[in-house]
Amino acid sequence: MTTEPRHLYAPAPAEVAVDAAGALFAVDGAAVEAVREEWEVADRWWTPRPLRRRYFELALAEGRSLVVFRDSSDGRWYRQRA
Amino acid sequence: MVRRLEGIGAAVESERVGEAFFAVDGLRGIYGGDSAGVTAAARKAVGGRARIGLGATRLAAYLDARELRPPVPVAILRGRLEGGAGAASARTSPGDLIVALERLGVKTLDTLAGISTDQMADRFGPLGLRALRLARGEEEPLRPRQPHEDLVEQIALPEGTAGRQLDRAVELLVDRLLAAPQRKGRTLLGLRLGALLAAGGSWSVEQGLGRPSASPRVLRLVLAPRLATLPGPATALRLRALGLGPPAADQLELAVGGEEPRRRRLGEAVREVRSTQGAEALLKVLPVDPASRVPERWAALTPFPEL
Repeated sequence: MTTEPRHLYAPAPAEVAVDAAGALFAVDGAAVEAVREEWEVADRWWTPRPLRRRYFELALAEGRSLVVFRDSSDGRWYRQRA
Repeated sequence: MVRRLEGIGAAVESERVGEAFFAVDGLRGIYGGDSAGVTAAARKAVGGRARIGLGATRLAAYLDARELRPPVPVAILRGRLEGGAGAASARTSPGDLIVALERLGVKTLDTLAGISTDQMADRFGPLGLRALRLARGEEEPLRPRQPHEDLVEQIALPEGTAGRQLDRAVELLVDRLLAAPQRKGRTLLGLRLGALLAAGGSWSVEQGLGRPSASPRVLRLVLAPRLATLPGPATALRLRALGLGPPAADQLELAVGGEEPRRRRLGEAVREVRSTQGAEALLKVLPVDPASRVPERWAALTPFPEL
């Protein structure tokens, strides 16, 4: 029997609240205290399915850290262990 | 708001935006000996527009803040039940539960509190039991957040830094990180080594430690090989602690030696677990493309090999 390996760190959909100025202030109902880092990933742009994401490493008010990204292809937000 | 409350010495739990709970017991002595003094301090800290209430439980304090007095409608529980443990997997939603209770004539918290535990469990399952506990004033203790800590050190690199110079830069970063006063003697659980690249952009790699450590030798040993994956000349190196563990007096170091007996024991354990739990019971992390900037391409789970 052949099975495909299970990939780790798969993105999961997230509800991200952004204020009028574009600043993130909540993820899945948890308040954002600070944006620690922000970076962009552009990959496979030479293929029919390019990948372009804006990543944010967040410090939540409750003390946890969280990485989310906005996928430019569908405009949706995802959380990801990164 | 949470930070401001922590500024008056409160250990704050905040699981919803714009809402925070803390225990006043330990603060009365600081603010005049009674709860009114603590409330006044909190109001001063967060501003006059915030609603503040006192109560023996979160729900009681919430009702007090909203100036709700008995009889309190059960509908008030809807928001309190959303997002709780198991809520996502529950068959009944908080809204459905409230509607069902009201249809049965259970319209206030007092009435709800009088229903037997067995009846609630049979009819509404875990969500019903949560509602019942809230109505009866039975809540879990507060879980104050751990204030956000950021233990990070950065060093600027002269142009052309490479080889041994980079190793030394890492040694320096490790020493600085371990010497940071906010570490307070605690061990580190993992590290993130990052760099600003001369050509633009950034690079970073995470390194777990296997077990908590504050040994500079262990940290340098695990970080040195990661420098080899640096994709180009860097202008700065940064080292961040990913989680802090308990203080350790023994300063655990990587154990070397005795590999063959260890391999044999591990092989026996693998076979035993497989025979009782099935082939998928033991998996290993297979690095697929650790250098990818897309995290889901980094690694995959595959069956742990027979030894």
